[in-house]
Amino acid sequence: MIPIRCLSCGKVVSAYFDEYQKRVQDGEDSKKVLDDLGLKRYCCRRMLIAHVEVW
Amino acid sequence: MEIEIKNQDDQELVFTIEGADVSLVNALRRIATVEVPTLAIETVQFTRNDARIFDEALAHRLGLVPIITDLEVVIPQEECDCEDYCSRCSVSFTLKGKGPKTLYSGDLKSSDPQIKPVLDTIPLVKLREGEELELEAIAQLGTGSQHAKWQPTTSCAYKHYPQITIDLDKCEACGLCADQCPRSVYRLDEKENKIEVVDLENCSMCNTCSKDCPNQAITVEGLRDKFIFRIESDGSFPPKEILSLACDLLSLKADTILDFL
Repeated sequence: MIPIRCLSCGKVVSAYFDEYQKRVQDGEDSKKVLDDLGLKRYCCRRMLIAHVEVW
Repeated sequence: MEIEIKNQDDQELVFTIEGADVSLVNALRRIATVEVPTLAIETVQFTRNDARIFDEALAHRLGLVPIITDLEVVIPQEECDCEDYCSRCSVSFTLKGKGPKTLYSGDLKSSDPQIKPVLDTIPLVKLREGEELELEAIAQLGTGSQHAKWQPTTSCAYKHYPQITIDLDKCEACGLCADQCPRSVYRLDEKENKIEVVDLENCSMCNTCSKDCPNQAITVEGLRDKFIFRIESDGSFPPKEILSLACDLLSLKADTILDFL
């Protein structure tokens, strides 16, 4: 499962993960989705980009 | 001291503060991050947990969920007469579910309708077919100095207000600074053939421009008594409220010193 908060700055990133995953799967550009979701810092952005849902 | 608000929404407050010094601004920053109390889940009692996640791991996840805080409703545990927790110093949440299902922060049922998680879409635990979960979570007031889950701010920082001086006698308007600046502070006006500063407040004072300038025409400095301050809230309070609580706490500390003297 995705960590609740960004490991570096503490912003709650997990709340946006479902939407991010769905929109990227539907073919949207992940840069655009992250901008839309208001994740400005690269620490928060990598949390979503790098996460692999294993179980 | 002059304060000008640059940007304000329910998550973020950006303002400039002029006529202050580092000791004051930094005191506010430190108090805002680690001394303003917020609510966070501290105790979790499991009735049933069939999920693959361990009790401790789930309790930790629950602790990190930001909760809308009202300091009028809940008092700190230290100020309460009870030993552990009671209705005056805590808010209780229950979480219950049966798989197959993902439980979200929105599934947390609060004992006080005004106090609930800031966001409803935080995935907490995944339950497979036949797995059940039931727990009670107790949220209490605490400060960031005890545990980071009680920090009301996520990013809370200030920088000196940048001041860029371009020596027009030396500048040849080659545009190198505009190309090199990582924050897009400059723009080359090709009609007028001169360099313009278009986004001064975005400057991080990295000095790339002044180092790269072939004629040493640029000086970048931070003003000593002017700051850009940014408070980003995790949602437990509006950012403005965090600042005003931090100011209250600072003045309380100053009063303590006066009393001591």
